[in-house]
Amino acid sequence: MFNLSDYLPIVLMFIVAIGFAAGNVLLSQLVGQHKATRTKTMPYECGKDPVGNAHERFSVKFYLIAMIFILFDIELIFLIPWAVVFKSFATAGRDLGTLIYVEMMLFVALLLVGYVYIIRKGLFDWGERARLEAEAEGRALAETEARRRAMQAATTARAA
Amino acid sequence: MNLSFAIPLSAPDVNFRLLLPELILSVTGVVVMLVDAFTGRSQRRATATLSLAGLAATAWATLWLWPSAQGADTRAWGGMIVLDPMRLSFTLVFLIVAALTVLISAIWVEWEGLPAGEFHTLLLFATVGMMLMASGNDLVMIFLGLEILSIATYVMAGFRKNDLRSNESSLKYFILGSFSSAFLLYGIALVYGATAHEVSAQPQASGALAQHVILAGTTNISAIAERVNDGLYPPLLFAGAAMLMIGFGFKIASAPFHVWTPDVYEGAPTPVTAFMAAGPKAAGFAAFMRVFLLAFPFVAASGQMRSTGAQLHDAWLGALWILAVLTMTVGNVVALVQTNVKRMLAYSSIAHAGYALVGFVAAGAADSAHQTDAVAAVVFYLLAYAVMNLGAFAVVTLIARSGDRRTDIEDYRGIGFDSPALSLTLSLFLLSLLGVPLTAGFMGKVMVFSQALGEGYKWLVVIGVLNTAISVYYYLGLIVVMFFRERTTEWRAPRIPTTLAVVLVLTVAGVIYLGLFPGRVINAFRAVQPIAVSSLR
Repeated sequence: MFNLSDYLPIVLMFIVAIGFAAGNVLLSQLVGQHKATRTKTMPYECGKDPVGNAHERFSVKFYLIAMIFILFDIELIFLIPWAVVFKSFATAGRDLGTLIYVEMMLFVALLLVGYVYIIRKGLFDWGERARLEAEAEGRALAETEARRRAMQAATTARAA
Repeated sequence: MNLSFAIPLSAPDVNFRLLLPELILSVTGVVVMLVDAFTGRSQRRATATLSLAGLAATAWATLWLWPSAQGADTRAWGGMIVLDPMRLSFTLVFLIVAALTVLISAIWVEWEGLPAGEFHTLLLFATVGMMLMASGNDLVMIFLGLEILSIATYVMAGFRKNDLRSNESSLKYFILGSFSSAFLLYGIALVYGATAHEVSAQPQASGALAQHVILAGTTNISAIAERVNDGLYPPLLFAGAAMLMIGFGFKIASAPFHVWTPDVYEGAPTPVTAFMAAGPKAAGFAAFMRVFLLAFPFVAASGQMRSTGAQLHDAWLGALWILAVLTMTVGNVVALVQTNVKRMLAYSSIAHAGYALVGFVAAGAADSAHQTDAVAAVVFYLLAYAVMNLGAFAVVTLIARSGDRRTDIEDYRGIGFDSPALSLTLSLFLLSLLGVPLTAGFMGKVMVFSQALGEGYKWLVVIGVLNTAISVYYYLGLIVVMFFRERTTEWRAPRIPTTLAVVLVLTVAGVIYLGLFPGRVINAFRAVQPIAVSSLR
């Protein structure tokens, strides 16, 4: 019963997934701009300061983004079973293909309406303020770093 | 190779006509949302007008469907959507509630500078949820409708973002609402398991294996009714029904599941409270009644033993009796000691759920010929309650002013002769809530109680009437405070804006019309018997 070649599509899926991730990283290394600001060279921690207190406050925008993610996550969850049964409804004397297709496109369109709505409501409009915040954070980080260095230098000087 | 098995999919019987009211309102909701997104905050009137137009179109579709509710087969979408007088009459109640809420909230939205478009969108979607609860003939459909309604209402309860009370109300409603939804969902799962039958499934890959037999339950209400007697696990059915009862009990705010109600109703913005007390409660009743009356009916067995169906029927009817008595008593007794008008009206809404439950008990005990009358009586009661309750809350909204600042009973001292229009209409609504003859509340109580008497529930009616006597104290108490107490602080009579004047005229007319000429409405409500009963064979 067990036949290894049945699992070829899964292997292909793995290859594509890994290739997609690695390819994107490589591509941005090769093609992208490199402006190594203080904030950008920090280890990536989903937009948070990687070193510091765990009880830190963070922006409510994260929740909003998470919610929008769910919106499109759900869309995908519904699309997959739909795609699986689509054929059996479209053929076999049922002739429901058009109806089911239109229904699903309506569903996608409704989610698109939601997307348009959040764009219009300015959810992605982080713009100027977010950049100012990031720059201020970078400056603060640089300052603490400099202070630490200075203190270190002072202690070593005193020791010497 | 493919080793999966599936129950053969049946093609859904597509029937858009049956869903027309829901479709119209959903489209209106989306359009309102887009209008709000693309025009900004400048015009508040546009979304309100659009919402009202959408509600009117939906009402037209509902009335257009009314004659076809008598047709032979009025189920579609794989038996998930049903068309019967119960659905249509409840739908009309929801639409009236939604339209009046739009009108009441107009002034409030203006005072507080709230995003009106979002509010109207949420309100419309909540209404669609309520309508699906009434039209669903499948536990899953009812649950989906309930969630559409609930999620929109959670947000609406917390709509005054900067007010701590509103936030608290929203959070409490959310936590307890999800809790009760979980009960409901668990009940649905248990009922599904209890009604399991052996179904032969065809292997999907042709010729792969021989036919397999698998167990499959059902969530379809008519199918459950057919299977109550020969389910594989009768005790599960009882547990599932109990869970469903708890879940619905939460939603209609019946004691002892009412504890969230006062806090939520007090903290939510007043127009939202008005909506929550009238709309979702009626929707809860719609689903509650459909599930228990049609899925767990009295089914006699052929042999000597009492059948599972009969036992289950006795059990839930007994539990409902207790629920009705508790709800009426707790609501009325606790309302006596309230010092906040919104809180008092919250307890009064609990008490009114109890009165409606009396009619529900009667409907449960009745045979199918009388059941229609009892269901119609309950819907009439809920309609009457919605009208007078929305009217009362409209006055409370105006007196409370922005930020819900004046909602204590003390704030109503001696306003009677300074603002006669407001205090007289509020008095009329309070008298109607009390059940004074010639008002809608009286007619509703008469119908519900007479149905219960007809089924032989003497003591239930006696307790109901005693409770009405208790409620005299707090309803008349507020009227006394308004007219016969000295005002200690300054009172400036608020100007009544046009939209609110329209609400007051409509609700006063409704209270008097339903109180004097209930015949037409009640006859329309009981046009034919619920279709799922007649199809039980």
